[in-house]
Amino acid sequence: MATLELNNLHAEVAEDGGETILRGVDLEVSSGEIHALMGPNGSGKSTTAKIIAGHPSYEVTDGEVLLHLDKDEFETDGVEIDDDLTWDLLDLEPNERAALGIFLAFQYPAEIEGVTMVNFLRTALNAKLEEREELFEDDEGEADAEEEDDAGYDTSPMEGDVDEGEVGVAEFQQLLQEKMELLDMDEKFAQRYLNAGFSGGEKKQNEVLQAAILEPSVAVLDEIDSGLDIDRLQDVANGINALREEVGTGVLQITHYQRILDYVEPDYVHIMLDGEIVKEGDADLAKQLEEKGYDWVREDVYETA
Amino acid sequence: MSTQVHASVDESTVRQLSEELGEPEWLLETRLDALDALEDLDFPDVIQTPGRLWTDLADLDYDSLVDPLGAAEEKDQVGPDGVEVLSFTEAVDEHEALIRERFGSVIDPQTNYLTALSTALFSTGTVVYVPERVDAEDVKVRTTMNSRSLFNYTLVVAEESSSVRLLERQETGEDVDGDRYYSGLVEVAAGENAYVQYGSLQNLDQTTYNYQLKEGVADTYGQVDFIDCNAGSRLSKSSVETHLRGDGSETKIVGAFYGHEDQHFDIDARVWHRNENTTADLVTRGVIDDESRSVYEGVQDVGRDAWNTSSYQRENTLMLSDESEADASPKLIINNHDTEASHSATVGQVDESDMFYMGSRAIPERTAKNMLVEGFYVPVLEEIAVDELRDDFERLVRDRLDSRD
Repeated sequence: MATLELNNLHAEVAEDGGETILRGVDLEVSSGEIHALMGPNGSGKSTTAKIIAGHPSYEVTDGEVLLHLDKDEFETDGVEIDDDLTWDLLDLEPNERAALGIFLAFQYPAEIEGVTMVNFLRTALNAKLEEREELFEDDEGEADAEEEDDAGYDTSPMEGDVDEGEVGVAEFQQLLQEKMELLDMDEKFAQRYLNAGFSGGEKKQNEVLQAAILEPSVAVLDEIDSGLDIDRLQDVANGINALREEVGTGVLQITHYQRILDYVEPDYVHIMLDGEIVKEGDADLAKQLEEKGYDWVREDVYETA
Repeated sequence: MSTQVHASVDESTVRQLSEELGEPEWLLETRLDALDALEDLDFPDVIQTPGRLWTDLADLDYDSLVDPLGAAEEKDQVGPDGVEVLSFTEAVDEHEALIRERFGSVIDPQTNYLTALSTALFSTGTVVYVPERVDAEDVKVRTTMNSRSLFNYTLVVAEESSSVRLLERQETGEDVDGDRYYSGLVEVAAGENAYVQYGSLQNLDQTTYNYQLKEGVADTYGQVDFIDCNAGSRLSKSSVETHLRGDGSETKIVGAFYGHEDQHFDIDARVWHRNENTTADLVTRGVIDDESRSVYEGVQDVGRDAWNTSSYQRENTLMLSDESEADASPKLIINNHDTEASHSATVGQVDESDMFYMGSRAIPERTAKNMLVEGFYVPVLEEIAVDELRDDFERLVRDRLDSRD
């Protein structure tokens, strides 16, 4: 069981006189839950997602981002830990957050020429496994860490040569193929360069594929549904539902539209306005919103306030 | 005009060199003419920005760098059956008429001070001759320089409807006290409907000053491709030029360099469109790190008679350190309106959003940067036909990345 917790999160653009974007966001996402975060453009949804993942362009001025991991979360890592752990994500680098199980599906994924999908994804998976070991060892004290260092790093002065790592090439090919089938992706994707020349829909599918490979505890999906035709929308929704059911991932889904929520039904809906969450409810709230629009929320909130 | 005077080199030096190599009279005369011309010749063109001459070739101390009679090297010259891969001396013995016809036909020995110096003083070289309709893969010329200076000459002749893919590489062997100088001239002639891919890998040690000029001529439907990889040397001036003289002729000029520490690279890629229906694609990618510097000049010159020209040029320099410096100048000169052309050059650092994307997938900063740099070279590596060149350049890049602090 994992829980991502945002407490009173305030943030601004990281530059002199940077604009304030978040004004006290509170949110909790636990394993197996599906949350929808909705709101008009500029309300702070994407910023919230980027701050969770550690984007350097934003500065957190107040509040905290915590990740609670129950001890059962470490069993697969072969590490024995006696107590539940809480991590302050704001102290960690993006790759460390990812290793702990945070995943961000980008609204606009980077296009990286010259790096094949298969190489990128295997490197990512091995980096995650390796980094997890390090993070948990750091937490458990020096003695264990030294032992593991001796065992693990003799042959790899660089952090993760592409030819090495826990998951070998053959094993990874198998894994990748399975996940691609699930998302109805052509196997040729494996040899293409990361997002380079991908259509908008292919990029979104690829984000879900990456989540399926990395098996996150909490996945933040930033407009994963925008620009998808109905077939792709269904593939992507299947991928998200499989993450919840098979991996137990908690999902925070940022969207403008009710459409994807017909396929991925949220347990909780949060509506954001001007850097705060102003209204919360269940799946019905999203339907109401679709009918009445954000003006309804605005009137409702500011009248009662 | 140069004011350099060579205490160590005079007419008797050239005569002795030519005699020891058993050369015919015409070649000696060509050498002596080049020697005579030195005092009137300028140094190769280099880019100048306000207040700054990026590469000062005139400032080198040629007197102490040049020692033609002490030249020493190891050389492999290998190729498949059906194609002749000869040392220059053998080639002059066996094919004097061919050499006399072709020598200096692509590069005028008196192009500049350094080409003339190289012509007067070269003591070693290779001739690759591909007869009509012969296809040759994997011709390799490997030079290990063991002396203070080495002047090298290469001639590649591909006859009608033949093809050849070759690699020529330079390294340094035994150490020498002080600085060294390597000079290489390469002439490539592709006949009608012939194809040449000339790849080079320069990995001289960082005490060596390096001057190379490679020029190709493509006849009707002929194609000359160059792949110019530079990793070594203290300073390199490397120019690659193709003359598209035949109707429908083509060229690709592909460059890759990786500078670190205090290395200096001055790279040129130039194409002269001189007939109808010609195509050129110039692609150069370079990385600079530490205090290294790079300067690139690309020229696409479309002549008056070059109807229906296609000409494309892209150059990208990636800076890995704040102390490195780069300049790039892509030039397009069009004298025939029936031309489709593009040219661009960029100098920049590793993209921050790419880094964040990779970080968000658990990939640590160092690994992410290395992957991006290796990926950056891929469009260049994909063009290379000789495995040894691609594999070895890739390995050089990886070793450099691994050795970063």
